[in-house]
Amino acid sequence: MGQGSGRQERSKKLELATSETMQAEADVQNDKEETRETKNRHEQLRLVFGMADLKNKAIGLYNIGQTCCLNSLLQVFLMNTHFTGILRRITVPPSASQKRRSVPYQMLLLLEMMQCGKQKAVSPSALAYCLSEHRVKLFVQYDAAQLLLTLWNLVKRQVTNAELIEKLSDLYTIWVQEYMVCQECSFETKRNSNMITLPLSMLDSRSHLLKTLEQCLQHFFFPEKLTGCNMCFCENCGKKTPFLQSMKLAHLPQTLILHLKRFYLTESSSIQKLCHYLPFPQGLDFNAVLTEEQCQADAGEKASWQYELFAVVAHSGSTDCGHYCAYVRSLTECKWYCFDDSEVCQVLWDDVKCTYGHSDLHWGQTAYLLVYMKKNPQ
Amino acid sequence: MAQWQELQSLANTSLEQVHQLYSSVALPMEVRQCLADWIEDQNWRQAAEPHSSHAQMLFHSLLALLGDHLGSPGLGDEDFMLKHNLRKARRDLQAAFEECPEKFANLVANLLQEEQQILRLAQAGQQGGVAPAPSTPQQSDRQQEIQRRLADFQAALQDADRAFRHLEDAQDMFDFCYKVHYLPGENRTNDPEYIRQMQGLQAKLQKLDRSRKDVLAQMQQLLGRSETLQDFLQQELGAWRERQQSACLGAHVDTSLLQLETWFTALGEGLFQLLQLLRALGDLRHKVTYERDPLQAELPLLETRLRELLTYLLQNAFVVELQPSMPTSSKRPLVLRTASKFSVRARLLVRLHDRSRRLEAKIHIDRKPPEIRGFRKFNILTSNSKTLVAGDSPQDGLVCDFQHLTLKEQKVGGSGKGSKSPGEGPLAVTEELHLITFTLAYAYRGLELELETSTLPVIIISNNNQLSSAWASILWFNMLSTDPKNQQFFVAPPSAPWPRLAEVLSWQFESVAERGLSKEHLHMLAEKLFGSKPSPESTLAWPKFSKVSSAWQRWHLRSPAPRLLLTHSLPQDSTSGFSFWAWLDGILGLLQEHLKQLWKDGLILGFVSRKQEKKLLKGKRTGTFLIRFSESTLGGVTCTWVEHPESGSPAFRAVVPYTASELASLALPDIIHDYQLLAEENIPENPLQFLYPDRARDEAFGPYYSQRQAGSLMEKKEYLNQRLIRVSSRQANESRQADEELVAATQDLQTLQLQPSGPGPLQPMPCSPGTLQLVPGGPEPPLALQVGSGVPELLQPGPGAVEPQLVLQLVPEGQGMLQVGPRSLGTLQMLPRSLEMLQPVPGVQEMQQVGPGDQGTLQAEPGAVEPQLVLQLVPEGQGMLQVGPSSLGTLQVLPRSLEMLQPVPGVQGMQQVGPGDQGTLQLGPGTLEPSVALQLIPEGQGTVQVGPGSLEPLQPLLESLEALEPVTEELDMQEFLQSLSEEPEPGSGVLETLQAAELMPSTLEAGDSRLERLSPRPARECQQPWGGTAGPLLGLTRCVPQAAPHSWTTATRSCPRPTTQPCPP
Repeated sequence: MGQGSGRQERSKKLELATSETMQAEADVQNDKEETRETKNRHEQLRLVFGMADLKNKAIGLYNIGQTCCLNSLLQVFLMNTHFTGILRRITVPPSASQKRRSVPYQMLLLLEMMQCGKQKAVSPSALAYCLSEHRVKLFVQYDAAQLLLTLWNLVKRQVTNAELIEKLSDLYTIWVQEYMVCQECSFETKRNSNMITLPLSMLDSRSHLLKTLEQCLQHFFFPEKLTGCNMCFCENCGKKTPFLQSMKLAHLPQTLILHLKRFYLTESSSIQKLCHYLPFPQGLDFNAVLTEEQCQADAGEKASWQYELFAVVAHSGSTDCGHYCAYVRSLTECKWYCFDDSEVCQVLWDDVKCTYGHSDLHWGQTAYLLVYMKKNPQ
Repeated sequence: MAQWQELQSLANTSLEQVHQLYSSVALPMEVRQCLADWIEDQNWRQAAEPHSSHAQMLFHSLLALLGDHLGSPGLGDEDFMLKHNLRKARRDLQAAFEECPEKFANLVANLLQEEQQILRLAQAGQQGGVAPAPSTPQQSDRQQEIQRRLADFQAALQDADRAFRHLEDAQDMFDFCYKVHYLPGENRTNDPEYIRQMQGLQAKLQKLDRSRKDVLAQMQQLLGRSETLQDFLQQELGAWRERQQSACLGAHVDTSLLQLETWFTALGEGLFQLLQLLRALGDLRHKVTYERDPLQAELPLLETRLRELLTYLLQNAFVVELQPSMPTSSKRPLVLRTASKFSVRARLLVRLHDRSRRLEAKIHIDRKPPEIRGFRKFNILTSNSKTLVAGDSPQDGLVCDFQHLTLKEQKVGGSGKGSKSPGEGPLAVTEELHLITFTLAYAYRGLELELETSTLPVIIISNNNQLSSAWASILWFNMLSTDPKNQQFFVAPPSAPWPRLAEVLSWQFESVAERGLSKEHLHMLAEKLFGSKPSPESTLAWPKFSKVSSAWQRWHLRSPAPRLLLTHSLPQDSTSGFSFWAWLDGILGLLQEHLKQLWKDGLILGFVSRKQEKKLLKGKRTGTFLIRFSESTLGGVTCTWVEHPESGSPAFRAVVPYTASELASLALPDIIHDYQLLAEENIPENPLQFLYPDRARDEAFGPYYSQRQAGSLMEKKEYLNQRLIRVSSRQANESRQADEELVAATQDLQTLQLQPSGPGPLQPMPCSPGTLQLVPGGPEPPLALQVGSGVPELLQPGPGAVEPQLVLQLVPEGQGMLQVGPRSLGTLQMLPRSLEMLQPVPGVQEMQQVGPGDQGTLQAEPGAVEPQLVLQLVPEGQGMLQVGPSSLGTLQVLPRSLEMLQPVPGVQGMQQVGPGDQGTLQLGPGTLEPSVALQLIPEGQGTVQVGPGSLEPLQPLLESLEALEPVTEELDMQEFLQSLSEEPEPGSGVLETLQAAELMPSTLEAGDSRLERLSPRPARECQQPWGGTAGPLLGLTRCVPQAAPHSWTTATRSCPRPTTQPCPP
């Protein structure tokens, strides 16, 4: 009542929008159950989803016990309308216990909470408990890249609809071709492999710091000679021979995640963080970064390799204790937000640039995961 | 903070929104107004949760406060209505929310949120409107962003502070409840009341935990934003450093630190507050902690991060505000001379310090000396530590001003060699970079740091003549070094990209003479450096900039003559015996000393290649000239003008460059003004008529001519004024001026200075042989006086030419220099010793003065046209003879009729006979017929020549030489003149004019006015005082060749008939 009197107009709008979403969701479920989807309907739904995502800008997530890493990743997922579009179409698990255990469903619930709530932040406790049932424990510090993989795998495994699984894979999977060439007989083996993130080393082969993200990418796709103890068994030669290992990029997904391996192993085998300055661009054109030989894709595919930065998961602190936060560029508003658990604020690109790193500031924020979004989704 | 106040100050459209907001709300605006601060200070959002005791507490507090307010005496009768409304509101609120205070809390929370929203929108709109306003045009986007962020940061800090206080309250409440209700000793698990209490306690703990996490998240966010802010400040500081570096090199940029200091202090203050907050949070943890307390895990992390950030901020905030410089050469800082005082100032931009502690800064030199062989070591004399002074006013800042520092070189191993011997190390003294470092032990609010900052590298010289090349090194370093501490820079100095170098060179001119180099100038310099095709990608190597090329040295050995112009014959890159920089620096020195104003006003074209010069002048009319710097002389400036002969291609002529020593005695505008070119077949004239492109000379240079005093002859003067002029002579067939001579034409009391050169051109003396006479000089008078009155036909082609002409010719002796001061039109001419030159000067009615040596003057006062006076005096040594009773003796010779000659004592007269070895006394003949010539021969070897009059009349005159001697020995002037007047004088028809001449003071006017008409230059310019002294005159003597004194000739000519004098209308 107090609210009603204070902000009548606004809350009306909110209610209207909420009910729309609910309805849309109900429609989706009906659709699923009927398994009859008309294209028209689909289009309409997408529109509704778009509106739903617009409704509430950016909502924080309470830290419920060392969950800053999880919170940051959730924000990256849930701010991605391509992902939420898929998420909204999942089949709701029938039983309550199944609902409790379903990660995608809990994510969807959380998304709804974030978008309907009046609060500046919501608590992801249900999702956190759900995750803890899948051996993702609370009160444990995670590595963001590792947690991302876990999360993604859980989501993918628990989405039952094959079409959605396909879509999910399309959304995140990177395809590369790995080549192994025996240096003695030129025997060549190749295989396709896929990954969710490109793990980029910060050091080149002589352990020098790489200066830019582009250099890291180039280094990643640079052929590597496997000699000495790294030699591989060649079927042709029948013995261990030196090999040339190279990777060619075949396909890039809509949402491309780059993992900056900002750490190195010291001689005492402790892990140290690398805080050096490593700029990354807002717009990334893979055709300009990679050479012809490093690509294995047709022209149409290559033409789509134009990316725009969508999110940065930044880490501050040392390797054994630290804090994560996420910078996400809202796809609907085209504004950057910084998500620091329950604190959300709109920021500028300059703030994001602060995660480039600084060799004098070892405890400052450094970008750890970079999420790029394809510029013109096809 | 003060949200309500801010809201009220908004524009009308926004206020309308506020009214709308409150029109339907249950909280009346009166209440909001009354308890604004209190309402804003409460955590309504937290209280809005169901069954919150907090909400209840807040609600009742509000009612109580309202009651207090109603009873307060502050509300007088006039507020009766308000009182009534408040009372009603209190009653209504109580009725509406008594049962559900959390709804009320929710209402207020939403209300505040709406207000914030309105406020934000309105301010965003305002900013959008304000941004293009002219009030802050100089602020860059980044600066505005910093301002905005600082304000945000401070607001967020206040929010955090408020959140902390709420947390503190919540914790106290929990703590209290816990101590009261939690009784672990007893088993009361069956007591439902106890269980309820425990559940409540658990809920409170949950809330406390969430609050803590919330506050922590706030701090994280705050730190993240302050990192960006710090990054912005860092960029601004970097820009300032660059500006300071540029300013050191002479650029005109703003190097004020005020803004930065404000920002740094604000951020520092905020971060220190944050640090205190974190510590207070730590204290909270000590009071209450629990399993998985977020404070335990995150606080240390936050504090480490914050300390690092603060350290970084402070380290960067310690800057060298004023780079070391000597007061004597403040425009060229960073060059220090041993044993000379210098000063330097450091500042801590974060104006925060503990007043109970002294902040002491220490100064060091070369803390970590580079490993360079032979690197000199120095000590800083005088105290090397100083307390940071913090003035009472906040503007003063934390500053340590080191003044009166001196450097002393450490003697190496007692060898006694103070300075570096060549070849000792790889670097020259002027390439050795030293660093002066400050350290500061900083302590504030538990943060202790050692801050350190360094000056830009300095170069330490021991002699002033190293200053120029030291400055070249400073330029090169600051232009190119990426690391401001790189002391090894000159081990392998990089090349300079031309655009950067051009900019820096331009600054040099800007700082010296307030005008930089134009595109054309730079183009010429680029051509000079890189050959014919300079490109923006061209780079210049350090040795090419600052070192003398060996090619030139070889050339120099072959041709030692320093004053020859040999640019044509030299290889492109070695035009001269000095480096590019030395050449440029010479010009800078010249500008600074003598040509500042002209350069500033753009009258000096300056850097023009010969090719370009021809191109520019070719299309211009004869007499168009430009001023450019010599490429062959160190610090030389010259004029080039164009002449269009009747046939053939245009000729370009230039004088041998004037250098500082010449300009010291005569400023360039005056040189241009009075410049004379003596040519064989022409009458002397000033070839400089129009300043390129098309500006009349006097219009362009008029304002710069030195002032000439109107010759108020009524005043008693001890000395006559003098003025210098310069002339060149050339032979008809010479294409360029091979040499330069100096001639001065003066107005009324002037001095001529002659500087003969070696192979000076010969000029035939236009005297008919018959007029020459030899007069045996007496033994005593060491005076030589030669008067030759030329034959008019010779001097002036065409009998119709009317102007009488006067010619004085002086031959200096020994190192002597002759000074001749002609009256108006420069009519004096000098002959070098060897007597090669006789030059006619087209004066009309001159009276001339010749001042030999420092003090001698010879004056001739023309009355009107006809009468002419010529005096020629030669001083002996330094002595000066004075004739007449007063110190200003007058010697006047009127050629026409000797009767008319009268000594004028004191006032208008001129005086002065210098009986030196080479003195001359000259008499100007009036018209054709009467001519008087005196010639004195010094020491027997001279000859006396008498002008073109008949021989007879001259003889007596010569006899009067006898009379002259006594004059020199204080004989009465009258006697002398009378003896002269005994001369039979023909031509009585001109007597009247002679009488006119007698009336010197009055006729002077007439003469001047006539002069105006006759001479090309306006009369006012002829009336400038001569401000020179003996000093500058002496400076010109060095070029006088040591030819033996021979004889001098002075030819005076006048027109045949005075009545035919031209009188232009």
